[in-house]
Amino acid sequence: MGSYSNLMLGCERFGFMANQNHRILMVSDFFYPNFGGVENHIYYLSQCLLKFGHKVVVMTHAYGNRSGVRYMTGGLKVYYVPWRPFIMQNTLPTFYGTLPIIRTILIREKISLVHGHQAFSTLCHEALMHARTMGYRVVFTDHSLYGFADVGSIHMNKVLQFTLADVSQAICVSHTSKENTVLRSGLPPQKVFVIPNAVDTAMFKPAPERPGSNEIIIVVISRLVYRKGADLLVEVIPKVCRCFPNVRFIVGGDGPKRVRLEEMREKHSLQDRVEMLGAVPHAQVRSVLISGHIFLNSSLTEAFCIAILEAASCGLLTVSTRVGGVPEVLPDDMVVLAEPDPGDMVLAIRKAISLLPKIDPQVMHERMKKLYNWHDVAKRTEIVYDRALECPNQNLVERLSRYLSCGAWAGKLFCLVMIIDYLLWRFLELWKPAEDIEEVPDIVLPCQSDGESLKDCSEDQCLR
Amino acid sequence: MEDNSSSPNPPRWRKVAYGGMQPGFEDNHTDESFLEQMVMNASVVKRDILKVMQDSVSISQYLCIVALVVLVWAYTLRSSLDENSLLLLDVSLLGTGFLILVLTEGMLSLNLLFHYILNISFFITGLYVLAPIYQTLTRSISSDSIWALTISLLVLHLFLHDYSGSTIKAPGALQNPTLTSCISLNASVVASVFIASRLPSRLHVFAIMLFSLLVFLFAPLVTYCVKKYSFRLHLLFSVALMIVTLAFVHMLHQLLFVLFLGLLVFVNVVCPYWLIRIQEYKFEINGPWDEAKLCFDITD
Repeated sequence: MGSYSNLMLGCERFGFMANQNHRILMVSDFFYPNFGGVENHIYYLSQCLLKFGHKVVVMTHAYGNRSGVRYMTGGLKVYYVPWRPFIMQNTLPTFYGTLPIIRTILIREKISLVHGHQAFSTLCHEALMHARTMGYRVVFTDHSLYGFADVGSIHMNKVLQFTLADVSQAICVSHTSKENTVLRSGLPPQKVFVIPNAVDTAMFKPAPERPGSNEIIIVVISRLVYRKGADLLVEVIPKVCRCFPNVRFIVGGDGPKRVRLEEMREKHSLQDRVEMLGAVPHAQVRSVLISGHIFLNSSLTEAFCIAILEAASCGLLTVSTRVGGVPEVLPDDMVVLAEPDPGDMVLAIRKAISLLPKIDPQVMHERMKKLYNWHDVAKRTEIVYDRALECPNQNLVERLSRYLSCGAWAGKLFCLVMIIDYLLWRFLELWKPAEDIEEVPDIVLPCQSDGESLKDCSEDQCLR
Repeated sequence: MEDNSSSPNPPRWRKVAYGGMQPGFEDNHTDESFLEQMVMNASVVKRDILKVMQDSVSISQYLCIVALVVLVWAYTLRSSLDENSLLLLDVSLLGTGFLILVLTEGMLSLNLLFHYILNISFFITGLYVLAPIYQTLTRSISSDSIWALTISLLVLHLFLHDYSGSTIKAPGALQNPTLTSCISLNASVVASVFIASRLPSRLHVFAIMLFSLLVFLFAPLVTYCVKKYSFRLHLLFSVALMIVTLAFVHMLHQLLFVLFLGLLVFVNVVCPYWLIRIQEYKFEINGPWDEAKLCFDITD
């Protein structure tokens, strides 16, 4: 029951409502059954937009044998396009391979606006490109930060510049992320909106009573990889254990750095004080969180960090590295920030332990309810959609001039790619006219409200 | 933004993500704090042309070594070098190389010496046994194709070579060689096999293979040790090597001499100057979005 109660609040219509109902296609390579920040964002945003009376369709690639059309909670329709991922859940970039199926979906579902997520999703880039060719307004959300130095980043930044050259509006999850995106893509800052992630506070409630007060439990839940600062943990944990005999650690998560953590535990004989849980399924994150007092985040780069929100919502005091968008996420009295340096982090944990008696998890939870809310996120996204639809539609030549200004060589290349896309689209229009594609009738589900999020309740129709 | 006259001091915009939309400001609000924390060209080092030129000597030194190897190949194929003088060359190279290593590294024990001698004798025996196979390896292929292939392999070798270190490590070194330097080493070995396969006798093949392998495997290690021992000695050695190489190339062919001289000037003078010139176009951006660097070493 719990997870939905705060979403249901939205059923009582909000005072202000979009003057028209949008028909939105969300595109990303990352969606359920995968789990993570982007997946969560798309799911909750879609659910809230559905509640507001918009039509939302999600498009992603096939996961295992999950291919075709599925329905999720609240009648959220998901197209699992039968393209296989080839690396890190990404589809193989083919430029034009997805044009026919994207065109079919756009016409079948009478879509008015396409919303792509995540800069390293190839499906998202391709969908936005085809949608622009077909004259749809597109919105793009960037969920991650990129540097400017290494070859990978330079390549990704060029791809992003290509996609964003002609995007109607862009969204970033934090102000730092906005600065980063503006620098990477050369968009005017007025076109980039900052809309943070949120947390389903109903799913992350603090424990009715706090775990025993004679020992302090520090919880870490993250993938144990370099970028999440697992090496920092290896340095920090023994130091903290030496300073505070009443501190215990619970480390949830798996990854290549797990071996190093286990070595550290062995070396300092901390087996009874550092518990390693391995990968924690998302549904059990709360139960791990509420067993602790302090949440430790050691990321080296982070655009937003939903994990901190989940911890704060469970009433934990957060200690985090001061990187990326993390300082913007919580008010100063709910988080202790430290430089990504073991010594400074130990000091921060010391400060957090001294602050701990003043923290009331229930009060913290109530505050989080006011600070973050998916409905607020959806409302703000709705405004961006309205703005995107106000953008004047341009013809091909006007749009090409935007691409041309992207760089001496890249500009010409981008133009070529777009012209070919346009010709292919024209050819498809002749070969399979839009009138021949059957439109899907809109089914309005009776207001259903039961339980588990991400429950997938449908028959498996095959796509085409 | 619009002036809120009803309240005495209108709320100020804050750079935070929490608390929903800030009253009076839209989500795309951009003020002067935007990109405030961006730092440009923070870690750019001013380079000194003399220093860059000195560093580029390593490259020209190795170019000379490879050129000398090619010269030996060419003279052997013309039969101006017989197998006895080649074998003499091998032995003297092995001796001097070993001597230099021992002198610069200063590590020697009877045990280690025995170990080295055992390894080298295994290596030489293996090479001798395999020599007949190398000799007939490319009999059905024309010499022109072999030369073309060899030259392209050598170019690949030079392109991917690890000029700052050595692919073959001194005993006790920690780091593993990189993939590119391994490819480079393999390209040079294949090139030597191709050349050896054009030779008339088994002893020729053995001598030239031993010579090429000695140079390609151990010359980088020896020059690296010399450089580590004394930079002045390294410069002196390199200049001497360049003069010797130029003299030999001059004896072989006039045009090649001009080309090689041009190459050396390009590497040692033009490229450093070019690097200094394009430094002013360097544009580095840093900011809060950068991945944090760890301030300690990770020892796996």
